[in-house]
Amino acid sequence: MSDIKYLPGKEPHENEHRLIFKNVDRQGWDTSIDTYLEDGGYEMLKKGLGMDPKAVTEDVKASGLRGRGGAGFPTGIKWGFIPPNNTKPVYLICNCDESEPGTFKDRYIVHQDPHQLIEGMVISAYAVSAHTAYIYIREEFPEAAITLEKAIAEAREKGFLGQNIQDSGFDLEIYVHRGAAAYICGEETGLIESLEGKRPYPRIKPPYFPAAMGLYMAPTIVNNVESLCHVVHILRMGGQEYVKLGTPRNSGTRILCVSGDVKKPGYFEVEVGKVTFRELLYDMCGGPKDGRKFKAVIPGGSSSKILRCNESFKIGRGDDAKDLSFWDLPLDFDTLAAAGSMAGSGGVIVMDDSRRMSWVLNNITHFYAHESCGQCTPCREGSTWMKKVSDRIENGQAVPEDVKTLEEIAYQIDGKTVCAFGEASAWPVEAMIDKFREELVGETSDTNDFKTDERIAQEEFLSKVQ
Amino acid sequence: MRPLKFPLTDFFKVSSKIEVPHPRAIDRKRLEYIRLYAPVKVDVPNARLIERDALRYLFKDHPKPRRNDRELVKRDLPEPSVLEKNVLSPETPGSINFPPFKITPELEKKANQRIAQYPADQSRSAVLPLLHEVQHHFGFISPESIDWVADKLNIAPIKVVEVVTFYPGFRQKAPGKLHFRVCRTLSCAMGGSYELMARLCEITGIDRSGADGQKDPISVSPCGNYSVEYAECLASCGTAPVCLVNDDFHEGLTPDKAKDLIAQYNG
Ligand SMILES: Cc1cc2nc3c(=O)[nH]c(=O)nc-3n(C[C@H](O)[C@H](O)[C@H](O)COP(=O)(O)O)c2cc1C
Ligand code: SF4
Ligand code: FES
Repeated sequence: MSDIKYLPGKEPHENEHRLIFKNVDRQGWDTSIDTYLEDGGYEMLKKGLGMDPKAVTEDVKASGLRGRGGAGFPTGIKWGFIPPNNTKPVYLICNCDESEPGTFKDRYIVHQDPHQLIEGMVISAYAVSAHTAYIYIREEFPEAAITLEKAIAEAREKGFLGQNIQDSGFDLEIYVHRGAAAYICGEETGLIESLEGKRPYPRIKPPYFPAAMGLYMAPTIVNNVESLCHVVHILRMGGQEYVKLGTPRNSGTRILCVSGDVKKPGYFEVEVGKVTFRELLYDMCGGPKDGRKFKAVIPGGSSSKILRCNESFKIGRGDDAKDLSFWDLPLDFDTLAAAGSMAGSGGVIVMDDSRRMSWVLNNITHFYAHESCGQCTPCREGSTWMKKVSDRIENGQAVPEDVKTLEEIAYQIDGKTVCAFGEASAWPVEAMIDKFREELVGETSDTNDFKTDERIAQEEFLSKVQ
Repeated sequence: MRPLKFPLTDFFKVSSKIEVPHPRAIDRKRLEYIRLYAPVKVDVPNARLIERDALRYLFKDHPKPRRNDRELVKRDLPEPSVLEKNVLSPETPGSINFPPFKITPELEKKANQRIAQYPADQSRSAVLPLLHEVQHHFGFISPESIDWVADKLNIAPIKVVEVVTFYPGFRQKAPGKLHFRVCRTLSCAMGGSYELMARLCEITGIDRSGADGQKDPISVSPCGNYSVEYAECLASCGTAPVCLVNDDFHEGLTPDKAKDLIAQYNG
């Protein structure tokens, strides 16, 4: 791979291990199928279609690949959930609704390397016996939707899609379906509802697990773009070889997207768990901006719990337990979960000491209040309340009890909703208050007597009643 | 003020016959009402705009609505229903940029292509793609186009309305010729996207004070050439702040680049 040259200024860092992003920012690279074929593309498709579908699934299971969309669920096991006696058509959906704040990896795959995704999708569809696949792409990627449709047409022309692909007897059609700027369409059951032409109200699980009752009530596999691309590399390397990348239970590579207050933000494809925060933020991202110090980091998209840079954590159980400072934490699924946060979608947002936490909190609560689908009360009302209270704190109109109120609201959303959006909106608030309580309380004042419109109306009403 | 293209005297006749409410109280429904009673047939392109100008002109020395006007409006016109309120598209200065909704063979062809992507008994899935086609050609989703989509897919219009009103990606009023969607989420906000928005508004003369993130996110400049809106994370946080201009994506837009960004399109 050493002969690959990258665009000047975009060369990968030496700690990187590029599989998925091999062709991103590559010199002389474009999205046409000829370029991809010249580079040995679609070979794995031929190999995969020559195997037994079960063998492909087994390989993916052996590779230990965990979904890169947020939940980190093992992909091979998910594929195995399709009921064995199923008679309905099976659907494969690629989740390209990348809208978790802080995440920007799928963007580069679909804009710069669409054929890798298509190849991964054909192999995955073959493994789960799906003959129709959809790419659900967010509306804000209009260019990528065109690129993908062009790539699909090219692939069909060369016989990598359509009827009887490469004489294997396997048929597959892939269609692009554009969303319409709603974050909740990223949630897999919300996505399915949206694909059915409805409002994206997530379905309750159980019983609506997509693998059993998904699109049109037929078995459906929803996978993230990055997860599907990994399938190509698993087939190339073999599951047994792939599992050696990364650390045990956290195999493979993953793309970390760093944004915020660092000198060189960007994307880095690394072996999972091989890079610590110190290496990531100081070596790869060039450290804090001049004259600043790192204050806090959101490790896996805005839904994950924030970590303070001066914390330390007890990781592991029993005799294996060790104390690790924030800087020595490796970025893998299990360690971050043990540290009380999550690896999520790989979006690392960094804040330095110039940021007021109340402002950050306010920005995040606005996002969730805007994006709640409104189906269940705790989330719909709670996210709006959190926004209003955090508005007050940010504007200096709050009293100290408001911080407690905010915390109470968050804990009342968490775990009481139809979909995981409830946790996604409550966790950042819970963590922010837990870790920066003094700072938030410091922005409030006992003497504030700010009243909301609702409060004024309520008092007026009560005075009339009495 | 744009010169008027038809004799105003006709309009004065109208106003002497029925009392025309103050422009502030005028929405589409009421314009239709006036048109119904108008002794002249206003048969020019963009008739609605001209009517609006005419009304503005009529009431230029008349800054506050008179009480009678409001009462007249109340008495004679039923309050628009929830459905009407959600379906009707208010006029904006940007309306002039887009042709009125019309079913063309080309649109039909594209629609049929989209419908073919889904199983035959699941054509409802094509609601989003069809609405995208409409929005792409006509700038926004009008009541007529909702009817067309519902007809095409053989579903009740409400099923289309619920989709249009839910998704922030569908507009119900005309944006400007250049529609800016500035990302306001954390990484971009840290990079200065709020200042970028302020600069864009300053340059284009847009007043965002009436904008409401949920119900009415789009603000259009008085000239109708520009409109702005806040978007949530556009998935390019590493190159913050970012912004979509129509379908073009721009990254690394520090506030000082706002002027160049606009110039790029006007040059
Ligand atoms: C509120 C919410 C938003 C989500 N957004 C996305 C998203 O934008 N992209 C994505 O791939 N997965 C998203 N997910 C995760 C999906 O539900 C699902 O777990 C994922 O697509 C499965 O793919 P994977 O197994 O390959 O990770 C979201 C989940 C929730 C609860
Ligand atoms: S938790 Fe929120 S986003 Fe999820 S279904 Fe309920 S209201 Fe909708
Ligand atoms: S925060 Fe603006 S693109 Fe993600």
